[in-house]
Parts: sequence; structure tokens; C-alpha cells
Amino acid sequence: MKSNTNKLLAFCLSGIAAFSMASCAGKPDGIENLIVEEPDEGKVVNLFGPMEKSKPGVDNLSRTAFDRTISIAEDSLGLTVEYRTYTAENYQEKTYDEVILDRVRNDMDDLYLLNPDTIQILGEEGELLDLYTLDNAKNLREIIKTANTVDGKLVAIPQEIVVHGLFINKDMFDQYGLLLPETPEDLLECCRVLKENGIETPIGANRWWLENFVFAIAYADLYNGGHTQEEIEALNKGERKYSDYMRPGFEYLQELIDKGYVDAETAYTYEAIEGEGPDFLAQKTPIVMAYWSAANTETAYGNPGFNMQVIGFPSSRGQMPVVSMTGYGINANAHHLEDTKAVLDIILSDEALQIYAETNQVISPSKNVEVECAPALRPLNDKVQDNVYVLGSNAGMKVEQWGNTCLIVRDLLNGATIDECMAKFDRLQEESLKP
Amino acid sequence: MGWCINMKVKQKRNRTDRGIPLIFFILLIFCILGTVVFSVAKRISSEMSSSAIHNLRESLGLIKGTLEAILINEAEFQKMIAQEITMVEDPEEFIRSYKRNRTVVKISMIMSGETVGVSNTGGEFSEEALDFSAGKTVEGLPISQSYLNSLGTWAYTMKCPVVKDGEEIAVLYMEYIYDSFDDALPGSFYNGKAMLYVMDAKSERLVLKPKGMGQRNAGHLNLQDFYRANNILEPDIQAKVSESVESGKNIMFYHDIQEEGALIYMWSVSGGEIYLIGYVPIEAIQQEGRAVNQNILIVVVVMLVAFFLCCLLYYFNQRQQSKVRREREAERELHSKQLAEALQAAQIASKSKTTFLSNMSHDIRTPMNAILGFTTLLAKDADNPVKVREYTRKITASGQHLLSLINDVLDVSKIESGKVVLTIGEFTLNSLMSSVDAIIRPMANARSQNFDVSVTGIKHEYLVGDETRINQILINLLSNAVKYTPKGGNIWFRIIGLEQRSSQYEHIRIEVEDDGYGMTPEYLKTIFEAFTRAENSTTNKVQGTGLGMAITKNIVELMGGTIDVFSEIDKGSLFCVELELRIPDGQADKEFWKNNGIFRILAVDDDIEICKNIQTLMRDTGVLVDTALGGEEAVRLIKDMGNGGQDYNMILLDWKMPDMDGIETAKQIQGLAQSEIPILFLTAYDGDNVEEEAFQVGSVGVLAKPFFVSAFKEKILEANAGKTKGDTQGGPEAGSLKGLHLLVAEDNEINAEILWELLDLEGATCEIMENGKLAVERFEKAKNGEFDAILMDVQMPVMNGYEASRAIRALTRRDAGEIPIIAMTANAFAEDVKEALDAGMNVHISKPIDMGLLKKALNQWIPRRPGSSR
Repeated sequence: MKSNTNKLLAFCLSGIAAFSMASCAGKPDGIENLIVEEPDEGKVVNLFGPMEKSKPGVDNLSRTAFDRTISIAEDSLGLTVEYRTYTAENYQEKTYDEVILDRVRNDMDDLYLLNPDTIQILGEEGELLDLYTLDNAKNLREIIKTANTVDGKLVAIPQEIVVHGLFINKDMFDQYGLLLPETPEDLLECCRVLKENGIETPIGANRWWLENFVFAIAYADLYNGGHTQEEIEALNKGERKYSDYMRPGFEYLQELIDKGYVDAETAYTYEAIEGEGPDFLAQKTPIVMAYWSAANTETAYGNPGFNMQVIGFPSSRGQMPVVSMTGYGINANAHHLEDTKAVLDIILSDEALQIYAETNQVISPSKNVEVECAPALRPLNDKVQDNVYVLGSNAGMKVEQWGNTCLIVRDLLNGATIDECMAKFDRLQEESLKP
Repeated sequence: MGWCINMKVKQKRNRTDRGIPLIFFILLIFCILGTVVFSVAKRISSEMSSSAIHNLRESLGLIKGTLEAILINEAEFQKMIAQEITMVEDPEEFIRSYKRNRTVVKISMIMSGETVGVSNTGGEFSEEALDFSAGKTVEGLPISQSYLNSLGTWAYTMKCPVVKDGEEIAVLYMEYIYDSFDDALPGSFYNGKAMLYVMDAKSERLVLKPKGMGQRNAGHLNLQDFYRANNILEPDIQAKVSESVESGKNIMFYHDIQEEGALIYMWSVSGGEIYLIGYVPIEAIQQEGRAVNQNILIVVVVMLVAFFLCCLLYYFNQRQQSKVRREREAERELHSKQLAEALQAAQIASKSKTTFLSNMSHDIRTPMNAILGFTTLLAKDADNPVKVREYTRKITASGQHLLSLINDVLDVSKIESGKVVLTIGEFTLNSLMSSVDAIIRPMANARSQNFDVSVTGIKHEYLVGDETRINQILINLLSNAVKYTPKGGNIWFRIIGLEQRSSQYEHIRIEVEDDGYGMTPEYLKTIFEAFTRAENSTTNKVQGTGLGMAITKNIVELMGGTIDVFSEIDKGSLFCVELELRIPDGQADKEFWKNNGIFRILAVDDDIEICKNIQTLMRDTGVLVDTALGGEEAVRLIKDMGNGGQDYNMILLDWKMPDMDGIETAKQIQGLAQSEIPILFLTAYDGDNVEEEAFQVGSVGVLAKPFFVSAFKEKILEANAGKTKGDTQGGPEAGSLKGLHLLVAEDNEINAEILWELLDLEGATCEIMENGKLAVERFEKAKNGEFDAILMDVQMPVMNGYEASRAIRALTRRDAGEIPIIAMTANAFAEDVKEALDAGMNVHISKPIDMGLLKKALNQWIPRRPGSSR
């Protein structure tokens, strides 16, 4: 019996060995040496956008969220989104917005991430595609449509509603017994106390975002007084002057500068966050201004190491968030127009926006997407949820707000007087009134 | 033994001594193998890495060449355009009308002597915005520092003099964008793992960047940003790089990028005007090498696994073989041992049989000598009746002894061949004891030995078993006791009832004790083996086969019992046999006692155990048993009863009691009694005197000790039937065969003659046939009733006894089925008896012929005929 089993085993092993050896053999295939390379006909969509400077070993959360939505689009459509970028090396170089204007006007790319001023400029020039044609445009909140509609066309749609606010080092405020400021006067008092306590420049600023003070003071009543459309209509018709709205804000800025609460000289040269951020994180500066996602991003203020609170800018109506509407716009003459529209439709879908909002903890432009915000952002979020905010950009206003105000604030930082600044607003308004 | 252990230790040490170097040798091989594999892997890795770096150099050289070719082409193209301008009528219009393309996005011209010129983009053009200070040229054409152009992309401008007729009439500026290099660069450098930037050498700006979404971790602004983003912060590296960039040299260095090792390169293009910079992860460079090493590792691991599997298989195989070897050795040892034992046993058996044969020779020759001697003497003294009787008696004794020898030898032979079959039947201890007592007591008396019989604790005297074989056991033990006890010694025979293990079985112990010669411890070890016999100066005069104890032990074990022996020289021996015998159903017969008017009896004995024994045995009969431990107590008891003991239907009275013996007690009781109370004497003494004395005091009989209910019942029946002593002693044996005419089938003439003579002595006649066939024929021809019975030998020629009996029974004669056929054969075993009965014979009598038994059988089976003398 055992002998028979052994024989059977030996036979099986021999069979397996023979089979294994036979399987290793075989004639080489004659056509194996021929390698035919298929032409690369991969579809491409060219995206142009800004880029924060990366830090070694640190992930940029915001970019990660954006990349994930792009990845969804790439997988769905079987194409590649090629990312081109520009960041000015210094203030003397062309700004991102200036480069955007050049590139859109010269049809260099398909898809752009646009700041509010370029949205309005390019929208008015007809360089941007009407995005109402996208399927997912129907999900958008009204605020998006209000801010980004030019001549009846929705020219840009963001992946998040960008809300600007004051980032406060609450620990330092508590240290000096300060309450979070509600009004411009409150902030002046806080700055006085801080300065008296050795904080040389209580407010850290850069050349981009000081205009938020101006918007909060200028338009608190316009956007929250119940007559928004009428007042905008009056401005567009020249019945009311922008300079009248702007003057208190500029004067307030001037006072901050004059009292040394803002260093105009450094603010004029500082890039956003890159300039004033280190001092804020080092707790040398207790107040800075930034956008919502900066509170979630480790490359900005996502992990400050102290108790940080993000509040609205001071105004006569209390803390006032400033909403500046960035967004993705499609070049009307894009080389890959249909693919670009498809990409944008996907990255603005509820599914993609849910991922984006959850990753970045931001307010989604889709009314179907709600996520919990970071604790530091709750004061700001509460205001927005209560519909208390001002728009830093409004394509419905014939004078572009975000870019122009920024430039005029730079003039102020550069030494221009309030009157000179107001004269520029008047001039812009006059130009807008020309047929 | 010690030598063996030493050998084993030595062998084990030798194995260990061999094993350790083997292990070291294997380890050495593995170390060498590991070193070789490691060296090969390292070498492959190094070579592949060198090859990869070489490939990277070649790739960068190729890219560099391509970019330089593009620049040269652009310069050549610009020269061609400059040449063409000299041929057009309106150069400025030519410039304005030029349409931008993917490479040349702007074309401008400043006429000689002027600072402002025209451009195809419209408006004025001046050289102020361009920086040619670096002094770099392509094909002799100055190339500007890179700048961000009106398209929002990085560009450079080359200027070319427009020379007409040897005179420079203008300068042609053509703006090219770096984006046009895109198509010349690899789409996926090192499978997308490597980064490739184009850097303007003078400004150190990165003018062309990777475009993929996932390729944005590196700094993208300028060289410093590249350093910062990739954590290349070592000043010496940065200084060396700067130095190389300034001098237009290529440079490579290893550095961690995003915590992974990478090879960073700075590759000069067009004499250092622009640089290809970027990094390739080491992982990507060594990909092929690692793949090869991984494959080598897999092969090595597979080989090692295979090797270890082989080792494992070899180990298990060796272990299995070793186990099999050990088992075989053990088996061989066992076989050798068994063979040695068998040889020893055979030798012992042979020796025993030799001894036995020697003994047999002696033992058989002795009686044979006596028989032959006395027959000689008989012939000589035939006329002397006294001597004839004396010689005949001695011849008979010698013949009996010879017969017992033969029976024992045959018994042993039967037992050893496993042919012994127990004949199970119902019997009483009373009959057993009686038959044993009848045989042994005369033997003991002959040697003046005291033979004491006792039965205690027996609850049931009716038992089921092979009475004959139990009888054989007891006779063997007791006859030995008689043989090996000197004259005047004591022999005790006890039957003791032990605690029952099952209600269906009586558990008894039989003890045979004597105070005789005893046995040596050595002999005790072999006492139950066949062909052994205690030999010493005292016993060698005792005749025996030496088979009795072996037979006894075999029979006891056949019955599921045990036998033990205890003995000391000159002190005596004790044999203990324990048996469990089944109790037959429904033995209690209360009706018997009721019918015979026995309701209450008095047992009188000085031995309390006997009294208790009587009570125990009578428990199931429903008879009330009173006891008295002596004659005086019995008399007092009857006196106290008042009515002269009329309540007792029977008194059992011990014959011999210390204070007042049985006779005296009987007399006093009879004196007190108003009417005669039947008295039955209990006695261990045999003889006519006892009975005569007993009858004189009005006893109804004598009951031999030990007390048994069955014997008691027989006595009651006898008493009731008024049988006399003479009646009880008379039996078939005493009957005469006179007048009987028998048909005898016997082939042996001598046996036939003896039988004829014996029958003649008894007054019977017979007709002898030489075989069964003749007997059958003779019977067939006989008149009806001519023969009273047929005595049939079994082993006969022509037709044996069994066949003849069957043939006779098969005859159609009326008396064929009735005539008694008595087997008379030397085939004396139980199965022979059974076969005889099966063949139709009525009874079996073994040879040599015992006339008593023959007479008994004939009287039993031959029906009385009217007028018969019997």
C-alpha cells in the first residue's frame, strides 16, 4: 500500500517537473522584437493659476483639496490638466493679475483661477465664457451669482466662498485684557493698548488685503441696510459717488498708519502671508488679515501654536466679514473649450465640492454642500451664516472694486493723500459712466 | 549494561562531534553564499546606478542638444528674416505685418541711428526693456535675459543686425517664448518621478516649469526658491552651484528631496545662457538595479526555501528511517528474546518430557512389573486359593494405578490441546462432598490421618457447574494432601461461602490444608506446570504422574476461577480455590417441608458455626430453626417449652459434644417428650456403630456432616418411607446379571475373552461379534428378545461402534429402538460420551471394565421381565 503511494507520488512529481520544464521552453515569437509606439493623443486642458510657495515636507491642504477634484475630473474624462503658474518674485514684477490679463487676452490657456478684479475686467471684455451653461451652475448660492455676474453672464465660479477676516492672537488680547473689536474705534483702542505694551506694529499687513478695512467701513450699510440694489444702481448711474463710501475707510486706514498701528512701508512691499505671516506666527504681531482657508492651511496659519480667532473687520455694524469672490473662468477662445467646460463642471459638482469643503473646511459655493468649520473660524462663520457681510468684489458694480481699491490703497501706503485717493475713485467712476 | 550506556553516550557524542562541524560548515557555506550574493547585488546596484547616471547625463545632453538646436535654428531663422528684410521695399511694414506664431511671438526693428522702432504688436519699440548685458550669444546673435512678456509668459529676445550692402541699416529683435521648448522636453522624465526646469542663468528665474498637477512640490520661482522648497540649505553646495552656473559648467549632487534621496542636476545649455535644473529620485535611478536585486533576492530566497525544505524532508526521512530501524531492532530483539524463551521453554519442555518419560517409564514399569510378576506367581500358585486372591488383589491395585496414570496423561493432553469441554449441570454441594468424602476418607483412614470437613457461609447448596470436574479438582487436591501428609497427620477440607459479587452466583472458596511435608519455594513456582513432581527423600516413594496439579489449575481457570498455594517445608500446605458458580432458579421448595410436616426444628451442636450454617441454609425453606450449643442447653430448651418439645418437628443432634454427647442428649430429650420427636444425628464419623447406636435411642437416621439441606431432605424422605439401612445401601451394583443374554461387539480377542469370563462369573451369557457390521447382522437375525442388551466397543474394523449403533437403531425391528446399547470403549472423554449418546447408545462405560458400573448400567436399562430371576 505504502509502496503504491510512493510510486504515485513519484509519478506525480515527475509529471509536475516535466510540465514545469516544458512550460519554460517555447520558441521565441518572431514579432516580439517589434515595438510599435502608439502616437500620444492624450487630451489636455491647460490651467493657469497662482501658487503659494511650498514648504519642504509640508502639504498645502488647499492645493491638495483642489488637486483631488482635478484628479476626479482627469479620471472621469480621461484627460490631463496641465498646470501653469506664475508668482511674482517681488512687488516690482508683474502681478499675477497682470499676467492673467495678458494670458487670457492672448488665449494662452484654457482655464484660469481669477481674482475678483480680473473677473470683472475680463468679463467686461468678453474674454470669459458664460458659465450658466454648466450643469452644476444651478446648485450655486445666490451670493456667487451676484458677485460674479457681468453683463448677465456668470463669468467665474469659485470652489469656496473666500471670506476675509481679521486673524487675532486671542492669547495676546487676553494677556492685555482686550476684547475682540467690533467697531473701528474698538480696534484703535486695542492697537493703542497693544502699542503701549510694546507691540510696535499691532497690525501686520501686506500689499493685497488692507482694502478689506476700507470695504468693511465703506459698504457695511450698503450690503446690510436693505437697499443694496438701489444704492449700487445709484453708483452705477453716477447718482452717488464711490469716493463718498470709500473716504471713511481710507481715513481710518490713514489713522492706523499715522498712529503706527500699520507699517505702511513694509505693507507696500509685503506679499500676502509671506511678509507679515512670520511675525504673526511668532506672536510679535497680534493682528493680521487673511482669507478663510489660511486658518486651515499649515502653509499659512493652520497651526499657529496659540489661540487664534478669526473675526470680521470692524465697522459701524460690528464685525464685518469681507467676501471677495475669486473663481475659475474659462477662456472664451480656449483651444480645448469643451474639455475645459467638462473639467469645470466636474470640479464644481456637489461630489467634488463636498470633498473640497470637507478637506479645507470652507463655505462651499453649492447650496447642497454644508460642512463644519474650524473652531477659530466660528465667529466669522456665524456672521456669514447670518448674512452679515460685505462684498469686496461685485461684478454688478461698474467700477471694479477689489483690484482698484487695492491699487488705490497702495497709493495711500505710498504716501498719496486721502483726497488724491478719492480723486482716483471719482475718475474711475467717471470712466465707467462713459458709454 | 554499563558498557551499553557508555557505548550509547559515545555514539551520541560522536554524532554530536560530527554534527557541530557540519553545522559550522553549512554556516560557512551560507556566509560565503550571502557574501557573494551581497557583493553581486551591490555591484549590480553600483553598475546600474552608474549606468543610470550615465543615462541621465546622456538624456540631459540630448535635451541640451535639442534646446541648443532650437536656439540655433531660431538664430538662423532670425538671420534669414534679417536677410529678407534687406530685400523688401518697406522693412517697417514687413515687421508690422508679421504674425506671431508658437515660437516667435514678437518681432521688432529699430532702424540704425534711432532709439525707437516698430513692432508687429503695434506701438513703438525700444531696447530699453531688454537686458543684453550678460553678453551671451547664439550663433553670434546677442540673447537677452529672460523676461515676462506681454503674453504673461517667459520669453527672451535675440537681436540681429540687418545688413544691406555691407552696411547695418537696422537691428532686428525677435522675441521667443520658453513655452516653445515644451515640445522638445520629455513628457515624462523618469516615469514622471524626475523634475525638469529651465532656468535663466543670469536671473536664476525658473522660466519653464513642470506642468503636471502633482509636480508642484519643488520651488518654482527661482533658484533660491528651488533651494528653499527642497531644503537644500547647505551654503557650500549653494556656493559651488553658483560658481558652476556662473562659469557655465554642469554640476550634479546628491541631496534629499522631500525626505527621499535624489540626484540634483544643473545642466548648462547654450554656453550657460540657460540651465536645465531638476532632480531625479535615487529610487528612480536605481529602479532597474533594484529590480535586478529584488529578482536575485527572490531567487536566493526561493533557493534557500527549497534548500531548507530539502533539509526538512531529509531530516524527516532520516528520522522516519531511524524510527523504522529502531522499531526493527526492537522487533528483532523481541523476536530474539521470544526465540530464546521458546528455545528455553522447548529445552525445559524437552527436559521435562524426558524426565516425564523417565518417570513414566518408571511409574508404568513398576505396576506393570507387579502385574506381570503376580501373574507369573498366579500361574505358579494357581492351586492355592488364598495366594490366588492375594495376587489378584495386587494385580487389580497395580492395574488401577496404571489406569490412573493413563487417565492423567490423557487429561493433560486434552487440556493442552484445548479440547476440554465443561459439562455444565445442576448439582448439590451435598453430593459433591459425599462423593469426595467417600473417596478421600478411606484413603485418609488408611494412613491414620484425621480428615476434617467443614462447610461455612454457603447460602445456596444447589449450584450449576461441571460437578465431575470440580470433583476431579477436589480429588486431586485431597489425594495429594493424603499422599504428602505422613501417617497420623491432619487434613482439613473446607468449603467457605464468600460474599456474593452477583446475586446470581455463589462465590465459594475451597480450602485444602494439611500439616504434611510441605513444599520448597522453588517447587511452588513450578507446581502447576505439567510433568513436575516434588522429589525428595520423603516423597519419592509416592507414585504419581506429576500432572495432577497442572490439570487442576487448568480446570480451575477453565471455570473462571483461581487457585493459590501456600506451603512451608515440614509445616504443611494450603491450597485455595475460588470459584463462582451459578445459582439455579427456583431452588426453594417450601412445599416440601410443608408436605412433610416440618415447620420448626432444633439444631444442637457445640460448634456455633455449624448452628449458624444450618440456619443459613434453611433460611429459604420457611422452616424455623432454633439452635442450642450443647446437649444440656437443648434439654433445658425443651424443658422450658413446657410441652415436651412437641413444637419441634425434628431435632438435629450433634453426635459428639463435650458436655453431653448426642446419645445422652437424645435419651434425655426422649425422656422429656410426650411423644417421640424424630431425631437426626449429625456426625462426622463414619461406620456402622454410629448408626446402630443411633437407632437404639430412636433416631430416624444419621446425617453426615457437613449439613446440607438436600441430604436433610433425603433423610426426611427416607424416614417417612420407613427405609431401612439395608435398603439404602443396596443398589444396582448389588444386582445380579444372571440369566441375561448379551450381544457383544468387540474386535480384541483378549478383551472379548475377559468380558466373556466376567459376564460368565455374573451368570450372564454373551455372543461376541468381531466388528460392528457382524453385530448389526447378528442382531438383525436374532429373535425378538433374544438379547437383553448390546455391549458395543467403539473402535472396530469394518464398522465402528457408532455406525453399528446407528444401523441397529435404524432397523425396522420392533426392539431395534428399545434394546439397550452400552458403549464399552477406551475412548473415555466427555465428547466421546456425547458422541456415543448421539449415535443412539444408552450409556457409556469406559474401559477397563468396572463390573460394578456395568451391572449398575445393565440393571438400570434392562427392563424387568416377568419371571426374571432378577
